[in-house]
Amino acid sequence: MLIEFSNIYKSFGPVEVLHGVSMSVKGGQIMALLGENGAGKSTLMNILGGLLRVDSGEIFLDGSPVVMRSPNESIAHGIAFIHQELSPANDLRVYENMFLGREERKRFGFLDRAKMRQKARELLADLEIEIDEETYMRDLDASHKQIVEITRALLCEARTIIMDEPTTSLAEHEIELLFKLVRKLVAQGVGIIFISHKLNEVKDLCTDYVVLRNGYVVASGKMDEVTTEQLSEHIVGHELAQMSRTAVMHHEDEILRVEHLSRERQFSDVSFSVKSGEILGITGLLGDGRSELFRSIFGDTPDYEGQVYLDGQPFHAKSTSQAIRVGIVLVPSNRKENAIIPDLSVLYNGTLATLRRYCRLGLLRRAPQESEFLVHAADFRLKYGKLDDLVTTLSGGNQQKVVLSRWLNTNPRVLILDNPTQGVDIGAKQEIYEIIRKVASTGVAVVVLSGEGQEIIRLCERTLVMYHGQIVGELRGDDMTEQAIMKYATGLGA
Amino acid sequence: MDMCKNKVIKWFSAQWTGNPLFSTTLALCAIIILQTCALGFDYASFGEWWSKFCNNWIIVLRNNATTGIVSLGMAFVIISAGIDLAVGSTFVASGALFLLLLDSSGAGLLASAGLSGWTAFSIAVVLVVLFGALLGGVNGVLVADGGIPPFIVTLGTMKIYRSVTQHFMQGRSPSFPSSDFGSFSTVTIGGYMVMPIVYWLLIAAMLYVISKKTVFGTHVVAVGSNEKAAKLTGISVKAVKRMVYVMTGALVAFASVIQICRIGSMDYSNAGSGYEMDAIAAVIVGGTRMSGGRGTVIGTMLGVLIIGVMNNLLNLYGVPPFLREAFKGVIVIIAVLLQKKEATS
Repeated sequence: MLIEFSNIYKSFGPVEVLHGVSMSVKGGQIMALLGENGAGKSTLMNILGGLLRVDSGEIFLDGSPVVMRSPNESIAHGIAFIHQELSPANDLRVYENMFLGREERKRFGFLDRAKMRQKARELLADLEIEIDEETYMRDLDASHKQIVEITRALLCEARTIIMDEPTTSLAEHEIELLFKLVRKLVAQGVGIIFISHKLNEVKDLCTDYVVLRNGYVVASGKMDEVTTEQLSEHIVGHELAQMSRTAVMHHEDEILRVEHLSRERQFSDVSFSVKSGEILGITGLLGDGRSELFRSIFGDTPDYEGQVYLDGQPFHAKSTSQAIRVGIVLVPSNRKENAIIPDLSVLYNGTLATLRRYCRLGLLRRAPQESEFLVHAADFRLKYGKLDDLVTTLSGGNQQKVVLSRWLNTNPRVLILDNPTQGVDIGAKQEIYEIIRKVASTGVAVVVLSGEGQEIIRLCERTLVMYHGQIVGELRGDDMTEQAIMKYATGLGA
Repeated sequence: MDMCKNKVIKWFSAQWTGNPLFSTTLALCAIIILQTCALGFDYASFGEWWSKFCNNWIIVLRNNATTGIVSLGMAFVIISAGIDLAVGSTFVASGALFLLLLDSSGAGLLASAGLSGWTAFSIAVVLVVLFGALLGGVNGVLVADGGIPPFIVTLGTMKIYRSVTQHFMQGRSPSFPSSDFGSFSTVTIGGYMVMPIVYWLLIAAMLYVISKKTVFGTHVVAVGSNEKAAKLTGISVKAVKRMVYVMTGALVAFASVIQICRIGSMDYSNAGSGYEMDAIAAVIVGGTRMSGGRGTVIGTMLGVLIIGVMNNLLNLYGVPPFLREAFKGVIVIIAVLLQKKEATS
């Protein structure tokens, strides 16, 4: 089977994210789909998976044009999409999960469990997978869940399987297991589209590659004709390669020190410190515990062991409002879920953390609220219609600026930013980096949590790499390279 | 002419999709026109019609003042993404306390404490409102600190408050000194008995200011709209949740005071029953989103009026009483259907 994308365009509101993308995948190929977050990979795959519709352009299956109006139609065309965040029905058994939504039935609609078990057992045996089909899904580890998900795809006779960062939550030996299965499928003529950020892994597994950057295909070809360095440059692009790095400077005053912090199953024995004016990066792979660590310091989950010092004084925030009062603020990741109040206006979203300041006799006064917000709006070159428009009318980058201004109003001493450029385009990204550097230059201690190697390298002076809840490495200035970070992040640093 | 028409259509569709109160206002206008017809509008005898019209409106507003006040509290609870099913039972429990405090048959609690007259009355009102706030506070603490879904909490306290009140009031029959204090609700202004309406409007004005001009009002929206984000912004989500139930409890208790002063008695098994559903219906018709984050005081007032005026209308047109609830049901469903335009636009 051959899938061809021809000149695909797609916009979200005013923002065009795919500008005429063309590529093709055929059976027996493992196609690496590479690119930074926001390059358009997910959009392209969501189109193939029937979750989004193209604005213009066509998809051809074996030469004839097809339209995917829903995930079901996509599945009917033999395309299976294995999402990054799996959502198996944990309280059902393995074979029930495999047949979920496509159950075998007897007469009168009763389930034909015997037949489902039989088929599941045959398929698992066929693929030499050692999973008992009667096991409950919740008892499987991450890689086996992933594998069950793949068998699901095979049961509906998928000829093309999209795998979106399948290895992020897997351990080394689990990845081996997964790759073995992928190679076996390819030998049987299945085509695979493999999305991943780990270039070594991609180089090892895939036969072909396509690189997307800002919605354009910037490179493609055979995997054995390219080096990981070349791939990395294609992915980052000249624009970012030329983006300036933060100058490493000497900082004197320590503001925040953390000693032996632990919280069950999230992070253990974490110690570090950050100084006034410094930009410290914290990075690692999914499940490294960095977000959880800082949520704890911020008082959202305050039941940790160990000691935090602020200006040398022991400090333990019992609530987020307490942390904010002493000047520790956290701009959370996943803006839509954790930061934006969709029913409030641009102005209120931008001033929500400091509303009390604008009150007289308990009543909010518009003038000081507006003037404080407008300072940031001008500073950040915020693009908005009216202050009273709902915040959801803004683009991702501008929403992030509104969120930043909410926090900067509180005059923080320690500014923790979790994934500060999630889902913003490259231009806004650069602007946000500038804002962060400016904030640091006023003496604020800045901590940037990010999984994007380039972001850490461009933005931070020093970075700590976490693996399974522990700090396993520290890199400084020019020592920060994607390879060095990845080595620590995958637990190979020691 | 055509351009003018286009402009009207454009304005109309912009309002329809952009202004959440537009369809509500429209519905109210439609009902008022029907009401005007029902009262037999006749240009020749305008004066007679006008006094009939005013009289009718005063009755409608007065009859809806108590549910109106309860609905305003309910609106805050629903905007915070909660629900309060216990309003009816809080109503009867605070009413019972009010009667016990002022009992005219000799055993009034305040009388035995040596208080009398309007001093006693004022103290009674304050105590009853505090009591209502306490009952609401129990809901609030269970929801905010207990982490139990509001529907379950208030379903429980709805049963508890009424049943305990009924049990406690068994064999007690305090009577309200209407001749002394009834005027709190029944004193007339310009020949009309408007005090319940005045209280309702004052409370609405106060809550309007709270919702628009205070930190608390904004925090209620934030909590209902995105609780996680609100918490990470340093808003005390628990305090906000507790407060909306406390506020509702206090408002309900005050509504109970108004009602007793007007009627002079309370039926412990039936008073306030169905209030929770009437209030929820009014709040929903007023354009408040059931899952929280969106809703206004003015919308809620309109919602109460739509249901109130419609009841009056059905009465004027002689629709059989048993069928009236069906109309209410239809209105609520239509209101929610209209709200769905928000999701699609």
